[in-house]
Amino acid sequence: MPPLTCSGLTTCSIAAVIVQMVGVSLFMLGFFPVKPTLSGVSGPESFRPPDHEVYNLTTPLPPPTHLKSLYQELSEIPPSFDRLILMVIDGLPAEFVLGKDGQPPSKALTDAMPYTQSLLKNGMAIGYHAKAAPPTVTMPRLKAMVSGAIGGFLDVAFNFNTQALLDDNLLGQFFSIGWKMVMLGDETWLKLFPGLFTRHDGVSSFYVKDTVQVDQNVSRHLGYELNRDDWDLLILHYLGLDHVGHIGGRNSVLMTPKLMEMDEVVKMIHLNTIVPQDDIKRQTLLVVVSDHGMTDNGNHGGSSYEETDSLVLFIGPTKYASDYASATHNTAYQVDIAPTLALLFGVPIPKNNVGVLIAGIFTSLTDDQQLRALELNSWQLLRLLEAQLPGLSCRSFNSDGFSDDQGLGISKCSGSMDEMFCCLYRNAKLLHSSWKLKTVSSSPVAAYHDFLKAASEWLSHRATDKPVNLLAYGVAAMILSCVILFTLIFCLCKEVDLREKQLFSDKNRTQGWHLHETFTLGVTLFLVISMGSSSMVEEEQYIWHFMTSTLYLLLFRNIIQSFPAGTLQSSVSAIKGQNKKCYFQMCSLFMLLVSGRILRGWHQGGVNWTNLPDISKWLEQAGSDYIKLIHLGAGLLLISLSLFGISLLKSKRNFILVVQLAFSIPGLLVLQHIMKYQDSTSTASSYGATLLAQTIYVILGIMTTGTVIASPWFMPVWISETCSSCNFYFSTSVSIDGQNKSLLIGLRDSVYLIGWAYLYFWCLLQMLLQQPINSMPILLLLMQILASMLYSSNGRTHKQWVEVAAIYYLGMAGHFSLGNSNTLATIDVAGAYIGLSSHSTLLSGILMFIITYASPMLALLSMVMYISLKDPSYFVIPQNADYGYLLKMMIGCPCLVPLCLNSVLLTAYTVVLLLMRNHLFVWSVFSPKYLYVCATTVCVYVGVFVVAVTGFYTCLVFAMRRKRQDPFSNEMGKSLIGE
Amino acid sequence: MKAVEIDFKTSTQAINLKKKKKHQNHVRNDAPSPVSASHAIGSHLVCALGLALSFWATHSFFSTNLISDPVHTLLLTWVFETPIVVLVYSRFRKNPKECSYWRAVGRGLLGIPLGALINIFGAIALGAPVGIQYLLGTINWSLLMSLLTFVPAACVFGSSWTDWQRVFAHTKPIGAIDYMICLPAHGAIIGAWLGAWPMPLDWERPWQEWPVCVSYGAMAGYLVAMVASLGFTLVRVARLPLKQD
Repeated sequence: MPPLTCSGLTTCSIAAVIVQMVGVSLFMLGFFPVKPTLSGVSGPESFRPPDHEVYNLTTPLPPPTHLKSLYQELSEIPPSFDRLILMVIDGLPAEFVLGKDGQPPSKALTDAMPYTQSLLKNGMAIGYHAKAAPPTVTMPRLKAMVSGAIGGFLDVAFNFNTQALLDDNLLGQFFSIGWKMVMLGDETWLKLFPGLFTRHDGVSSFYVKDTVQVDQNVSRHLGYELNRDDWDLLILHYLGLDHVGHIGGRNSVLMTPKLMEMDEVVKMIHLNTIVPQDDIKRQTLLVVVSDHGMTDNGNHGGSSYEETDSLVLFIGPTKYASDYASATHNTAYQVDIAPTLALLFGVPIPKNNVGVLIAGIFTSLTDDQQLRALELNSWQLLRLLEAQLPGLSCRSFNSDGFSDDQGLGISKCSGSMDEMFCCLYRNAKLLHSSWKLKTVSSSPVAAYHDFLKAASEWLSHRATDKPVNLLAYGVAAMILSCVILFTLIFCLCKEVDLREKQLFSDKNRTQGWHLHETFTLGVTLFLVISMGSSSMVEEEQYIWHFMTSTLYLLLFRNIIQSFPAGTLQSSVSAIKGQNKKCYFQMCSLFMLLVSGRILRGWHQGGVNWTNLPDISKWLEQAGSDYIKLIHLGAGLLLISLSLFGISLLKSKRNFILVVQLAFSIPGLLVLQHIMKYQDSTSTASSYGATLLAQTIYVILGIMTTGTVIASPWFMPVWISETCSSCNFYFSTSVSIDGQNKSLLIGLRDSVYLIGWAYLYFWCLLQMLLQQPINSMPILLLLMQILASMLYSSNGRTHKQWVEVAAIYYLGMAGHFSLGNSNTLATIDVAGAYIGLSSHSTLLSGILMFIITYASPMLALLSMVMYISLKDPSYFVIPQNADYGYLLKMMIGCPCLVPLCLNSVLLTAYTVVLLLMRNHLFVWSVFSPKYLYVCATTVCVYVGVFVVAVTGFYTCLVFAMRRKRQDPFSNEMGKSLIGE
Repeated sequence: MKAVEIDFKTSTQAINLKKKKKHQNHVRNDAPSPVSASHAIGSHLVCALGLALSFWATHSFFSTNLISDPVHTLLLTWVFETPIVVLVYSRFRKNPKECSYWRAVGRGLLGIPLGALINIFGAIALGAPVGIQYLLGTINWSLLMSLLTFVPAACVFGSSWTDWQRVFAHTKPIGAIDYMICLPAHGAIIGAWLGAWPMPLDWERPWQEWPVCVSYGAMAGYLVAMVASLGFTLVRVARLPLKQD
């Protein structure tokens, strides 16, 4: 294979990155479908046809009591009931009550719920198999029940500020007409609807082992509440049955007693509220629902029949069905509950509802009213269809429909999606209008149902179906980019290896793979394997730390390998020098391991063991004064470290002083900000703090860009005579003239300075933005990175890609030691508003990204310094090579290795997510993790871009300086500019 | 008792004599004592049986096990195992002519705390919990690990850096005794490393606690590696006569 040119390498890697981006976006689009939703809340306009949108939306809604009567007037349907009891039995499969495939449930189950079964037999209750949409876990199911919408994942994920349900929903509608609501049971309701309930007693679903107490805590209030008359909606959420399933599965011995208990509750409610309805004004409807079913083992979350088979049971004062069979063999969808209840209680149907009213409950109404209910539901679905199919416009059909004779307007519906919906709607509309005029005898109910069914199915499939094509193309693109990157890095490594062999042919460079090299790849492999387990994803911080420390311990072992034998006897200076280097490397690795361990202990992290003690909790207990002291100390140390680091440059004194001065100004400002504003009391919003933070942003930005742009121009170039020490390095390439050498040293120094500027900039920014408790970890991370720099600059024993990969792993391990985890809850939202005077989603998003990806970005930015600390022989230009070759040698590995490792993790995790799409925790564990993986990818892109641009710019400037100094050798400069 | 003392005295005298001889002759006798297959099998068997016996003893006499009371079980195990390992491996000491048996025993005993320190460092660097409630467990675990990894080499090699480097840094065992030291030690370390994997899982089992599953992993790795080392030794012994031919 011919050696890659610099431009070829760049083009290929950019192409690979673009392919990867396309792949990720395709996959995201396919896996997390974003459907357009209607914002806002349904109001009085929902009782008017969609083509009469003249109703002014800005009119303020009347007060609740007026609104209630207004709705009643508009809807033309008298509310059938006044009060609603919604009894949610978590995890009850409908099969337990209604049987399966037309067969009644088994004898044991009917015996377990005698009262409910007798209600069904008498026709006093009517039950439905309500198919739930995956994911069959509680919170999304509750949302579907009350809003009628099937939510996507992303609107949950991007809503991490609050868990509250902000979309239009039944409870909000009830609240707006002045209902008083009481909630007993699962506290998920309280999270979804904060402040809506007049009285509530939430129980936690955390203790899965508890099957008795959770339900007793609900039932203990039941007698009291049933005797009271001040509520309109009573929600009971029983968790015990789900817990029984989790412990023992469907056939658990605890199941029968639990079903009996539930039956007792139904009996109690029925006897207390529904049977004695002497007061005709307070008609009560009891709706028994379950949010999802369960598998034979008691699990849920997936999309099998057992899990999606949930129950809806309407128990009212009137008879619904004539016989048992018609009361039990019905099917519906879970989303149908919302429009049914809305129409029964005379409130507008929630805007994003995709359900269809359950006709069996409306049999007591007159035909007129039933048709009106169907019409209202059709209007609502038509509005939603119009939002999702922007081209849909059925309004033109409506106006000329009236003049037609009966039957003429009715046509067989076919054609495109738009046309079909319009046609179905028009048919129903025409039939209805002619039915009103008594011109036809056939009822338009069937026509309405045709339209509703088609629309509802299409809408709900759109929300849950994952387009296979998009997913397949996405994964294929990712794999392709992965392969390209691997090929590139393989070629590059071979070339670097060749170069190293030329340089250090005498060294004991053994062929084949060393243990630490294999393990560097093994880290990624272990990670990929562990990502298949949800607990490992939750506790990823352990794995990163474990693997990174192991890798560094192996490097430790590697030093011992090269430790010369017979330490005491030898007195040769070369061996002594080697010894010294080994000790130096050992010390830096020791420091790295120790600070890594402290970082691991700083935040416990994860999901399951968050309650274990860690350093941050300990410090928070000790008091904010200590934290502030540590914060200040860390800031001071950071400033002095960087000033010391710059003073190591063997350059002109004045130049260094100027740079140090420029560095210390923002540092002192940050210290002032810490002293003045970062107290335990939140004063972040005060004007002074905002101004100071903005000043710091500006000064830091100017300082960093100034250093980056200016230092290659102004970095003093050594005169070759004074450079005596560097002759040692360049002894292998005697033919290069002194000027070239000094330029190279200048290039190295300026890259070193830029590297420090980046690190300093990033760390200071973190000192400002991160929580005070995280100041020490930032410093420790910097120390780790500097230690690894020291380590790699002192030896030539490793291949370059190993060192770069090790630094990348350090960054990823550090990500978790700043308190991050794979749940979206740990994102620090408070820090994202520092220095912002007005709310801006974009700016606070960027700040949030900076805070969250502090550590990986630090590691990536440190690659600039890594380039400068590498043995300068890497930079030496062979006789006939050019700056392009130099550039390739400089930034090839530091840019490609992170890209490559990240692409492996990204691709592997995408496949894992695809395989786990029916897993119980796909929405709670795997999908948030995928968002993190994607954000890490963005972080890697940004970091690599910065490194590449810096390297390119510096090389370009030095090529131009060289051209200016030496007009005879412009072909070198040209060749670079040509790139 | 007296007999032992006399024996010890004579042996120290013998050492001194030998030392003098060595100084006079400047001849180094680095060749390790040859290890026959039966020796290797015997010593491995004794070590493995020691582990098993100590487990049986803690279970039957003190009615504890690693899960219910890791601290005491580990303590009993290493106390039980110490004499076995030290006495067995001291028999294979290098330069048996210059270094007496009891000297090898002595440096083996000295190696226990040293090896424990190294093991503690490694474990904590890899994330072992630090805290007073874990302290005793960590110490006892590291002493046991030291016995499985460090002490045999201390008994056999003493302070010979080249040997240590060859066996532990380069992992290039040459003779049978090298295999007998190198493989079980590496087995114990790798086993402990693998044993740490279930620790972060949320299975809520008592054996996931530090240092229970790590100890199990270490011992399992040790035993497996012993079998491997036996295999290697036997193959070598079988091949040796062929080579001589």
